[in-house]
Amino acid sequence: MVGQYLKTTALALTLGVWGSGMMAAEPSLDLVGPLAEYKLYVAQNTAKLVEDVTAFTDAVKAGDLEKARSLFAPTRTSYEKIEPIAELFSDLDVSIDARADDYEQAEQDPAFTGFHRIEYGLWEQGSTDGLAEYADRLLADVKDLDARINGLTFPPEVVVGGAAVLMEEVAATKISGEEDRYSRTDLWDFDANFEGAQKIYELLRPLIAGDRADFVAKVDGNFAAVDEVLAKYHSADGGFVSYEELTDADRNALSAKVNTLAEDLSTLRGQLGLG
Amino acid sequence: MRDPAPLSTTRRRLLGRIGLGALGGTVAAGLGIPPLPARAQPDLPRTGPQVVEAPAGHAETAAGHVPFYGRHQAGILTPRPASGILAAFDVVLASLDDFERMLRRLTERAAFLTQGGAVPARDPGLPPADSGLLGPVVAPDDLTITLGFGASLFDRHDWLAGLKPAHLQRMVQFPNDALDPALCHGDLSLQFCANLPDTCIHALRDMLKNLSEFLVLRWMIEGSVPPVPPAPDGSTPSARNFLGFRDGSANPDANDAALMQRVVWTHGPDEPDWARGGSYQAVRVIRNLVERWDRTPLREQEQIFGRTKMTGAPLDAPEAGEYAVPDYAADPEGVATPLDAHIRLANPRRPDSERNLMLRRPFNYSRGVLRNGQLDQGLLFIAYQADLEAGFIAVQERLNGEPLEEYIKPVGGGYFFAPPGIAAGDYLGSSLVDAARRNRTAQPESIKRE
Amino acid sequence: MSAPPKTIHLAIAGAALLAVAGAGAFWYAARQGAGAQSAADRLVTVNATSCEPNAITLPGGRRSFEIVNASDRPIEWEILDGVMVVAERENIAPGFRSTLEVQLAPGEYAITCGLLSNPRGTLTVTQSDEAAAAASEVTLRKFLGPLSEYRVYLVMQGDAAVKAAGALRDAIAAGDLDAARQAWRQARLPYRRIEPLAYRFSDLKERIDARAAYLQGREQDPGFTGYHRIEYGLFAEGSTQGLAPFADGLLADLTELAARLKQAPLDPGLLIEMPADSALQIVQGQLPQGENLYAGNDLQDLGASLEGIGKLAGLLRQVAAQVDPALDAAIGQDLQAAEARLAEIEAQGHRTYGDVPPAARDALAAELTQFSQDLRKLQPAIGMN
Repeated sequence: MVGQYLKTTALALTLGVWGSGMMAAEPSLDLVGPLAEYKLYVAQNTAKLVEDVTAFTDAVKAGDLEKARSLFAPTRTSYEKIEPIAELFSDLDVSIDARADDYEQAEQDPAFTGFHRIEYGLWEQGSTDGLAEYADRLLADVKDLDARINGLTFPPEVVVGGAAVLMEEVAATKISGEEDRYSRTDLWDFDANFEGAQKIYELLRPLIAGDRADFVAKVDGNFAAVDEVLAKYHSADGGFVSYEELTDADRNALSAKVNTLAEDLSTLRGQLGLG
Repeated sequence: MRDPAPLSTTRRRLLGRIGLGALGGTVAAGLGIPPLPARAQPDLPRTGPQVVEAPAGHAETAAGHVPFYGRHQAGILTPRPASGILAAFDVVLASLDDFERMLRRLTERAAFLTQGGAVPARDPGLPPADSGLLGPVVAPDDLTITLGFGASLFDRHDWLAGLKPAHLQRMVQFPNDALDPALCHGDLSLQFCANLPDTCIHALRDMLKNLSEFLVLRWMIEGSVPPVPPAPDGSTPSARNFLGFRDGSANPDANDAALMQRVVWTHGPDEPDWARGGSYQAVRVIRNLVERWDRTPLREQEQIFGRTKMTGAPLDAPEAGEYAVPDYAADPEGVATPLDAHIRLANPRRPDSERNLMLRRPFNYSRGVLRNGQLDQGLLFIAYQADLEAGFIAVQERLNGEPLEEYIKPVGGGYFFAPPGIAAGDYLGSSLVDAARRNRTAQPESIKRE
Repeated sequence: MSAPPKTIHLAIAGAALLAVAGAGAFWYAARQGAGAQSAADRLVTVNATSCEPNAITLPGGRRSFEIVNASDRPIEWEILDGVMVVAERENIAPGFRSTLEVQLAPGEYAITCGLLSNPRGTLTVTQSDEAAAAASEVTLRKFLGPLSEYRVYLVMQGDAAVKAAGALRDAIAAGDLDAARQAWRQARLPYRRIEPLAYRFSDLKERIDARAAYLQGREQDPGFTGYHRIEYGLFAEGSTQGLAPFADGLLADLTELAARLKQAPLDPGLLIEMPADSALQIVQGQLPQGENLYAGNDLQDLGASLEGIGKLAGLLRQVAAQVDPALDAAIGQDLQAAEARLAEIEAQGHRTYGDVPPAARDALAAELTQFSQDLRKLQPAIGMN
């Protein structure tokens, strides 16, 4: 049955842009190296996340509003880079990264916790008051996440498909500025998602570069184009300016590139026999 | 060679005639004068279909009507036509008498709209009685109108105390929900279904106009069901949802009266008498993340759903048809159909899960675009069951955490109770009103006894 | 003349029967003597210069061999696929026999016959339903996760081994005997964890893990380097003197090893083979004889070895769980039993491994043997042909 599907797909594909040689029927042992590299990358990021969240929550509990605000966006980047793995643990993902509109009572909902709950306090309410318990909870959650991720054997299709998943993240919430609605630091998150996708793509690139030069050239080009647009929005200290500054023209350019990347990266699994 | 000029003049005149004819018809109707019969107009050569002509109507379906009166409300077991609207309202009622008046007027309008008839004429100095969307004679077009009561109706009015159906409750969000308060709950729901969207819209506008004293529109979603030509053997396959999959293959047989009595019509000993023969209506507005879905490998889509996409056959019998029943007992490890596939979680087909059947009657909706440039479309899920807890709530709890959740986001809906059907001369909800009146008169007696 | 009485016929018949029975008994005894009766699929008798039989044909699947050493030298017996050893039995003493069980895929193999100078035999394995069925539905895809996870483990333990060897070198350079001894004990642990793969790099192993007993010049032999040379200096001679070059050498060798491990090609067959082999090697080697002869902290080393084997078992269990849940559970229990036994022995508080009584060692050996046997069952269960 599987064979039939492959034949039909291949047939259909030969009529289109893709040659029937694009698809691998079975994954190869060549994937072991990139998969191992990716786990090491993720483990590094979760270790950094624990470190950064410790500093962030210390600032919140010490009542240092300035410092807490300045640490918010950089702290989130380690999380946003490894989104495809982090979201495997949906209970922690919700507790760490849910947004107010996931809850019927929005910001007032008692189940609303994590980064964005603290963000709401720091920006919308302009104070660290009452945030201590959310800070403690966030630190406990990221430590738990670090432990769980270290113990997890990463499913290969989650890793390979992760590049496309990160682009979907960007398309769904970062492009529209819905993610960090109080601090307007969405561009930081955008960049982190993007870097995470690039990491996966780069690890897998040697496995496809040989036969699929056109595909690789196209994807390389789109990554470079997004890099170029984002680079315009760097702030003096190496971070990013407010999402408000993103021009309509640039937002549309980014949107088109992100969607194209999502389309192209969504074929990686099939190309590497993990469809 | 003919000179093109005279032809275009003819076309313009023809257009002009048609325009005038249409306007004249409406005006004439407003005056109580029947419109000019077509024969009275000069015979103009037809050059072909015109841009502004209405699409050719389907005479048989326009005249089709679904009986309004009966033991149960229509629009529950009735096969879905191509269009639907679910509208939720808040009610403004000062008393039980108001409630009765509202229900009587609602029933009157619903009976008329679903059976069809000529629109009454009025003085042209007044706003017309009817929107005119369907012309001077309202064709029934297989319209059904189904009424539902929300939990808040009972909670907010003490003259309905003690009469709330046993399992009726305000919808509480499930883990994957991102409920938008502007799209949730309501004191009352009206489900309109008809062949044409205009019939539904016409009916909704009629209700709003005639019940404006009592009903405030809270939210509404328009839905559609893609028509599918029947197969050579006469059977019609289930329609597809916006994920491209057939939806409803495993629905219980609506023609099996005993099954419907068990699964759909409320009958429990814990339910108030007035509610027997009614049904719980679970409504969910479920957004589909279609761009992302369309970028997912076909095989994975099928594993997530538990069916093959094109035919709807279960994964353990891909050559069979969509109505083949998957044999989970022969596949305990989930090799053919994954253990967390949508259909398997929704109905694991164990002896105990027989309790959790419900009748699904969904529509697809498409409402525009979101701020992030993605399409706002998905499933207007509507299900009917005898017991809300054993039906939709139990099934959704099994579905929590399913892989499909990556691609869907419930954003709205509510729980309602559709009261039982009525005989001609009666009004919808009369059994509830009667029960409420009995409770009222009972109270003074009980005080006397003390 | 009258016909002979019936009894004579009976007597003749009886005598004939006896003769036949006698011949049969003789034949039976002769075969027993030659050891021809065997529960194994094939009995192979190894003589001084030849093997009996020397050409074997068997259907594919799980096959067993009984090897009888009818020569006067200790021998080993191997099945070879080209230059790769598919299965072997070592150290069969003269007059003794040993059994070997192996999963054989169809193909042509060579068999050794005692002394390496003896001509080799052939083993032809034919197609069979059993061999076909053994090609399980487990696909490479199921192994990708565990393989990459093991590579991550190799990288991390390799780096840890290098780091610990650096700390050891520093303590030696500082001349601090106590610190050096403690550092030495800790330094071996990451190596032991990844030994199942590391020991296969024979050139590095000889330098990193050389043992005096196998060297002609023993502790004075120039080939005595690595962990145990440093151990000898720190624990037997009781000084850090002169150990700096050995510490530098160990660090360099471990760095090379870590680099090779990062690139070592891993495949499902190798992953399945490693834990069973390693468990058995411990049973045959370290448990009876001890390995850290000067420091005597073998129990600590064994703990690390068990961790490394346990890591592999855990990864394989992820694949086995869906295919053979009973085997998965059995392997889990075996590991727990071995760990519990080791903990029990440690709780007895022996100062040195030499003090651990044979009974305790045998008990742990039994547990590890059981563990190894169950691990071997993974090949038919989830192995890929």
